[in-house]
Amino acid sequence: MKTTRRITVLGTTALAGLAFAGAAAAQDDTMTIGITQNNVGVDSYQTTYEQAFENAAAELDNVDTIVLDAGGDVARQIAQIQDLIQQQVDAIIIWPTNGQAVVPAVRQAKQAGIPVVITNSNIAEEGFDFIASFSGPDNITQGSRSAEIMCDRFKEQGIETEAQIVQISGQPGYTTALERAKGFEDRLPEVCPEVTLVETQPGDWNREKSQRVMESFLTKYDDIDGVYAGDDNMGVGALNAAKAAGRAEDITFVGATNFAVGYEAMGRGEYWGSIYQSPVDDAEAALQTAIDVLNGAEVPFLNYFDTPKITQENMEEFDKPVF
Amino acid sequence: MVAETKSEVGEASKPKRRVQGNAVVSVLAKQGILIAFALFMLGFALFSERFLSADNVMTVLRQSAIIGVMAVGVTVVVIGGNLDLSVGSMLSFSTVMVVDLHDKLGPELAIPVMLLATLCIGAVNGTLVGFLRLNSLIVTLGMLSAIQGLTLIYSGGQNVDIANQQGTWFAIFGRGQMLGIASPIVIFLGLAVLMHIVMAYTPFGRRVYAVGGNPTAATFSGIRRSRTVFLTYVISALCVGIAAIILGSRVMGSQNNVGQGYELQVLATVILGGTSLLGGSGNVLKTVIGVLILGFIQNGLLLLGYAYYVQWIVTWIVIILAVWLDVAAKRGRLLSPIA
Repeated sequence: MKTTRRITVLGTTALAGLAFAGAAAAQDDTMTIGITQNNVGVDSYQTTYEQAFENAAAELDNVDTIVLDAGGDVARQIAQIQDLIQQQVDAIIIWPTNGQAVVPAVRQAKQAGIPVVITNSNIAEEGFDFIASFSGPDNITQGSRSAEIMCDRFKEQGIETEAQIVQISGQPGYTTALERAKGFEDRLPEVCPEVTLVETQPGDWNREKSQRVMESFLTKYDDIDGVYAGDDNMGVGALNAAKAAGRAEDITFVGATNFAVGYEAMGRGEYWGSIYQSPVDDAEAALQTAIDVLNGAEVPFLNYFDTPKITQENMEEFDKPVF
Repeated sequence: MVAETKSEVGEASKPKRRVQGNAVVSVLAKQGILIAFALFMLGFALFSERFLSADNVMTVLRQSAIIGVMAVGVTVVVIGGNLDLSVGSMLSFSTVMVVDLHDKLGPELAIPVMLLATLCIGAVNGTLVGFLRLNSLIVTLGMLSAIQGLTLIYSGGQNVDIANQQGTWFAIFGRGQMLGIASPIVIFLGLAVLMHIVMAYTPFGRRVYAVGGNPTAATFSGIRRSRTVFLTYVISALCVGIAAIILGSRVMGSQNNVGQGYELQVLATVILGGTSLLGGSGNVLKTVIGVLILGFIQNGLLLLGYAYYVQWIVTWIVIILAVWLDVAAKRGRLLSPIA
């Protein structure tokens, strides 16, 4: 599986020249794609992503990959980008540890004629000139879809004129957390104008923390009809708290990034809905975007892969997430 | 016990220098932590009618239990004159392990296996600090990152979950009740009382105070210093193991970094409880008050609608006040140490 992880100087001068011209990879040439990931091993999503990326690359004869991981360290990621530039790879995929800090390194890659694809979470706007494409989920759409799931459920229950909800958001400062919250908060008043979002607190992507936050919400508010959590991990934490307080039955739980625990809780009828985001799709989309860029195909600047709604009603259409 | 004796000696020497301000300073210093606690409770109760409701108090106690159990162990280490910064990372490891083994071996085996592994980590800390006399800050800070790595290797980065959450008796520790009270509270308070008795009334407890207060004198008195320090780390690890059981049972799953940052919260509660970082003085039951202060601050700020980051800042202020009062008690005055 890890056969492709090697330091290669296959990218010959000729190939590099072609890449620079924007039309690389002749028929029997091998393209070398380097990737530096955010922090493999810190969570199941990123671990699965790496495996999926390596599997997808292993199936392609004409693609060599150099798979690196920054371990969550910005400085190490910048060094890795510079290493990949030195090795004259044909394209670099970056999962930014920090959307702002990697911009100068991305600029260096652009100057060296190496196209850069950003995966999963986008870099800061001032770096947009230096990248070929962003491949990843559209977190704003995810947030607004969660709002629609919540609203549709309230309409079924006939409480769309009075429902009160709370939100448990991801780690502040994280683009994903901000975008999901924004998508949700913007969409909710459009679809369900009379539903009130009474309070938002961060749960830091941590189930135990989310459980504590929800316990305080339950103490503070006698009437909670819905909980929107920035991911299912936190959503299940909130569900745990509500179950302990004997109030889970009255509450609609909606999350994002469907985790196995969320999927199972849906199966038990305790958790209403989420957004299905597969790390396998994420990894394959990133690799394909890089290959398309190298082949000179038209690639949208924001190349989103689809993350559909999943609820108790349609969950059979989806496999249980592996993470 | 020893702590009490110490401050009495301190008071006896004070009147020579200053008489008037001393009474106030001394009361503030000795009971400062309780006064601060009372003020906090009063303040929050004024702004939120739900703050002192029975439900909420029980919630805070339950939420504080995990930090509290760990703080009991760390108090013993700190009284012995050392630090243990590896507890947060150990909590991640132990929780991941007990949850993972729950489905593989069943809870009756998962718990002892996890406790054994956790005690081994404590024994490594204890050997390095106790027998090899290495600096405890360096040893346990290094252990913090080593264990985080070990956790990731153990789990392969995957979250772990208990499949059958309804039918397992493992649920009793985090979700169940003992004697009509939520089990985490019973475990936490029971352990604190037990450890207080050990520290205050047994030869082992007196040895820990002696080693922490003056290692050289303790050695000359025939106390086996290395072994005593070693045992404090084993106790700390045991407490982490117990906390992991509560956490695993409460969440019925674990992330790899679930205990990240807990070491600082735990240390904060120990300092709030008035245990001196220099070793040799401190009190397990006062750590319980420290735990409650931290728990109620966090909960109170949430009820008032502040994000808990505000709590970190407030905690810092409270710790500085606690340390200041502690120092003031030793100096016999609030301000400059120079007359």
